[in-house]
Amino acid sequence: MDAKLKPLSQSVSIKGDTLFSRRIGLKGARRIAGGLWVLGLFVPALFDNAWISIAAIFAIYGIVALSEDIILGRAGMFDMGHAGYFGIGAYVTAILNVTFGWPIFATIPFAILVSAGVGALLAAPLIRLRGDYLLVATIGFNAIFVLAMRNNLGGITGGSGGITDIGVPFLFGFQLASQSAMFWLDWVVLGIVLVLMRNLDASEFGRTLRYLKQDELASTTLGVDSRMVKTLAFAIGAGLAGLAGTLFAVQISTVSPSSFVFTESVTLFAIVIVGGQGSIPGVLLGTALMFILPQIFRDFAQYRYLIFGFAMIAVMVLRPQGLWPQRSVRA
Amino acid sequence: MGTFIQQVFNGLTVGGIYALIALGYTMVYGVMRLINFAHGDLCILGAFIGLTMLTSTAGSGHPGPALLLLAFVVAIVLVAAAGVVLELVAYRPLRKADRLAAVISALGASLLIENGIMLIWGPEVAVFPSGLLPRITWHAAGASISFVQVMIIVASIFLMAALYLFVNHTRFGTAIRAAAIDQDAARLMGINVNRVIAIVFVIGPTLGAVGGLFIGIYYREAYFTMGWTYGLYAFIAAILGGIGNIPGAMLGGVLLGLFNAFAAGYVSSSWQNAITFALLIAILLVRPTGLLGERVAEKV
Repeated sequence: MDAKLKPLSQSVSIKGDTLFSRRIGLKGARRIAGGLWVLGLFVPALFDNAWISIAAIFAIYGIVALSEDIILGRAGMFDMGHAGYFGIGAYVTAILNVTFGWPIFATIPFAILVSAGVGALLAAPLIRLRGDYLLVATIGFNAIFVLAMRNNLGGITGGSGGITDIGVPFLFGFQLASQSAMFWLDWVVLGIVLVLMRNLDASEFGRTLRYLKQDELASTTLGVDSRMVKTLAFAIGAGLAGLAGTLFAVQISTVSPSSFVFTESVTLFAIVIVGGQGSIPGVLLGTALMFILPQIFRDFAQYRYLIFGFAMIAVMVLRPQGLWPQRSVRA
Repeated sequence: MGTFIQQVFNGLTVGGIYALIALGYTMVYGVMRLINFAHGDLCILGAFIGLTMLTSTAGSGHPGPALLLLAFVVAIVLVAAAGVVLELVAYRPLRKADRLAAVISALGASLLIENGIMLIWGPEVAVFPSGLLPRITWHAAGASISFVQVMIIVASIFLMAALYLFVNHTRFGTAIRAAAIDQDAARLMGINVNRVIAIVFVIGPTLGAVGGLFIGIYYREAYFTMGWTYGLYAFIAAILGGIGNIPGAMLGGVLLGLFNAFAAGYVSSSWQNAITFALLIAILLVRPTGLLGERVAEKV
């Protein structure tokens, strides 16, 4: 199929970007990224509380979008239920913290493990589905998750109102209650995730994913256990989304089903494709466009989704590879 | 027994509507291998246009059925026009691009139409006028069947039969089937594939506008996010029957309608949707190509 050849031809067609990356180089680009991250630490000193919380939301959704990109952009599986794993992480933290009185940080491993576990359990049978069918199945999963939360599954999810009054995290005896402290927490986790993503791309697993996405048949003939690799990618993506879910529960201090509906999954899916699959700057750019830009143009709030809809069509028609596509991988 | 017959009729009514909308998904998928996510919103656009026609012509003294027919005609014409424009602007430039680009474009189109409806008609639930149709209800064996239900079932059967004949017994229908099998080969045989796709984007929205207006008349309400709700059901129906397969969409619609009605009647209405989605996943796992779809090996 000619679609499979696209990534190669892209590196030729987007001359500007290859020139750009050649001039700066991978190391230079990483230095710039690191510098931007350090600059981000000063957001609480320069902006008011409203903007600090917007920056925190950006960091949280940045992590979710990056985790979606592991499944969608790197492994090439059409996951349109990603808000579900995000929600599972948030609900695990909320339930353990509010109902069972656990400290926030102690809930993090469970938020990650439960989301990753559900992701893997769901993926194991589903990954053999063709692209569009997988997309539909994950939509179904997301819908079931939201309905289960709404119907107060097991009497612990709080129904459509969700769970409120989630506590604040304590770190070394300090209460991370202020908006700035929570932002720094989110920003540090984003930094860790970015390093992890870099390592993932450089690792054997990352290379296996790239190969699998380019040509599944060829990679299986070379001994790649595609089912195992894909399930693992799903689990990692879902687990990271679960981690972001914890941060979200802390930031908003409330979890309710409406935050994890299928439209959110569509948004995450769109962020990855519009930003650029497999491209960390692209995905973060997409997140910023989706979550920061609307705050600047708040007067036009009612036109928000109309404009997004229009922009999604326009970007795809004019730049189908995304706004900031992945660097060409050495052939 | 009363409940059973009642649910059969409720299911057939809703199933007929699902089938009408599902045909739009399945025909586009069949020819273009694209999930037209904006289809549900187009259908609800039809409901709103029809509602505007009904409220603006109400009290003009003409007989009710004539006004209803006019509302249907105007809704069909405008929605079909929107469908053709949608294909031209959002899908045609992406026909050679990566599959995902078209998916995003379709999702964008869905957002655009949905929010366009909200800006024009407002975010509130719009109520359909009562007394459009004769208020006749038949009672039999403990079940009550209304005139609206009978009208929807009969009209759905009629439209589906017409589509079946069109696709299987006309030159255009043959061209559609040929383009669905292999676009390049169809082009070599002198078929204008662009025209075939344009026709598909007239037929799908036409049936969808009828389905959407039926939803409005049956539930007597319309709201702007309705397109996603009913679009998703209709889409599940298309998958159930085997996406790309026209009789499959009809069968899937009716089966899903019945399944939904029985889940609501016998299990619980708050879990009804969850059961429907669980059914969807189960079908995808057991027989991903649907009930009538052929097993196709994945192209490498």
